[in-house]
Amino acid sequence: MIETGIPKLDDFLGGGVPKGKSLVYYIQPGVEGEVFGMQTIFNTLKCKGTGVFIVSSTSPDTTRGQFKEFGWNIDVYNDRLFFVDAYNPLIGAPSKEKYVVLNPDNIENFNKVITDVIKELPPSTIVFGSLSTIMDLCGEKETIEAVRNWNKLAILYDHIIVYNFTAWPYSQETLDLLKKEMFNAVISIGGIAERVLFGQYFGILKSDWAKETKKSMLFRVLRPGGIKLFIPKILVTGPFDAGKSTFVHALSTRAISVDRLGTTIALDHGHVEYKGFSADIFGTPSQERFDPIIKLISGESMGIFLVVDSTNPTDFVRAKQMLEITKSYGLPFVVVANKQDLPGAMTPEEIKVQFNLPSDVPIVPASAKDKKGVFEAFEVLINKITGGI
Amino acid sequence: MSDYSIGIKELDTAIENIRKGSNIMLIGPPMSGKEIILYNMMYQGAVKNENAVIMVTTRESATHILDWFKESGLALPLSRIGIVDCVTKTLSGVAVETENIKIASSPVDLTGIGVKISQFFEEFFMKKNIQKTQLHINSLSTILMYSNIQTVFRFLHVFTGRIKSAGALGVYVLESGMHDEKSIATLKQLFDGMIEVKSENDKNYVRVTGLSAKPTPWFEYEIEGAGINIVGK
Repeated sequence: MIETGIPKLDDFLGGGVPKGKSLVYYIQPGVEGEVFGMQTIFNTLKCKGTGVFIVSSTSPDTTRGQFKEFGWNIDVYNDRLFFVDAYNPLIGAPSKEKYVVLNPDNIENFNKVITDVIKELPPSTIVFGSLSTIMDLCGEKETIEAVRNWNKLAILYDHIIVYNFTAWPYSQETLDLLKKEMFNAVISIGGIAERVLFGQYFGILKSDWAKETKKSMLFRVLRPGGIKLFIPKILVTGPFDAGKSTFVHALSTRAISVDRLGTTIALDHGHVEYKGFSADIFGTPSQERFDPIIKLISGESMGIFLVVDSTNPTDFVRAKQMLEITKSYGLPFVVVANKQDLPGAMTPEEIKVQFNLPSDVPIVPASAKDKKGVFEAFEVLINKITGGI
Repeated sequence: MSDYSIGIKELDTAIENIRKGSNIMLIGPPMSGKEIILYNMMYQGAVKNENAVIMVTTRESATHILDWFKESGLALPLSRIGIVDCVTKTLSGVAVETENIKIASSPVDLTGIGVKISQFFEEFFMKKNIQKTQLHINSLSTILMYSNIQTVFRFLHVFTGRIKSAGALGVYVLESGMHDEKSIATLKQLFDGMIEVKSENDKNYVRVTGLSAKPTPWFEYEIEGAGINIVGK
């Protein structure tokens, strides 16, 4: 078993990747995912293993420099780290590496070099820096056949094969094969998108050796440092007496509020752990003089709950105003239709009409004081943030 | 005032407005002044329209571009400028990122280029709260020298889509005469309009198609210093 060195991922995978297995980091375009392959190979080297890095979209020397940017000194592992250079021949530059793919747009040439590597080297962690680049150069079908062959050989020779794959809009058939069939494990690396990508997460889509898990983790890439996990902030806002504090307390495993005479005058703060996802929750006061706080926290949040009192449509104007403040940041949000237990509560559909919200905005009915609907709302928001991994 | 403009008064008047989410191809022969037109759009966008501008450069280094603006007496508001430099690392192997400059390892590394573009989008939109962004790619022709048309199409398919959903503006430079008609037709599907440049009898002309009900007339232009002057139709 080889550990990837990526925090939490080894836990999710039951300790790491067993020998003979293949794993793909399936990366959404625009998300900084190639570091996953680099961190995996560096951790192998640190644990006294042998590593092979196949570079297709940049030179081996540039890749060595990238390792250094992360603070990973690979020079001390020169005897156990091998580069396969499939870049320099592409731009007509000479290569000083032992393994060189002379015609990187010819899959047969690729096949020969990779087969040599698999047969000649001791059991190693073999990382493809960019499978998508090979696919672009050699063709989708041809590359898929070659990958199947490499994965089979890896079993015979006890290697672990790891692929970085950027999921550009290839044919659906190709993407489905990659996600569902070709690899023992698929790690999805995605971006949280509203109007722009503003956060990154990873999660296991598939693993045939670890118990299936639907956990996902948000991460940042630090230089130096590599992949670091972080806990996202989620903002809870809404008009006066909508039940924001009650919602924060109902959702949180631990929570605290700063109140005076029963009204929040600073912040509610809670921490939620639910279905493998953790987040810090911040509830804002409703009075307009505190609007700058909403702006401040919105700028650092990953998502927003807008809590409204379903029995009090007169407050919807203020609710909409608060939504506008936060919406300018382009964050995913969910409307929580609170106090559904009270007589006269409007249905989510009626609230949607009153609010004049687009049909795709989720409104979740809830009764925070009875803890009803709060976790459903959390799940809906997390799904919006992570794209439903 | 329009959110986005070309920065050439006669063309902006003729097309009236560039809609949010537009993707435009800037196409013309080598050495016809396309780059000056692009730099003018960059300056107009950052200074006059107060937009953020992200420039992906595969031809000149980022410092070369910033020097051009300095030498031309055009003061760019650097807090609104982001340059993805795909040249420096390939040439010298060493390149340092700054607040304005991110380094992609090569023009082949479309994944890396995409990451840097996304990072600038996030920085401008989320951290600096600048709602209007222009993405300029100069040039697709260099990228096409290293990658095939399908690869570039897939890359552009993703990023033209992001431009639309962010309500931004995308401008993509292509050299005419370097690519076959089929390739250009393939790429054209992704764009809402074109700024076309042509050279005839030592004179340069520019027009815009697809952004207004009918194409603008061809305007003859001359380059004076860092500026574009329309001298006739």
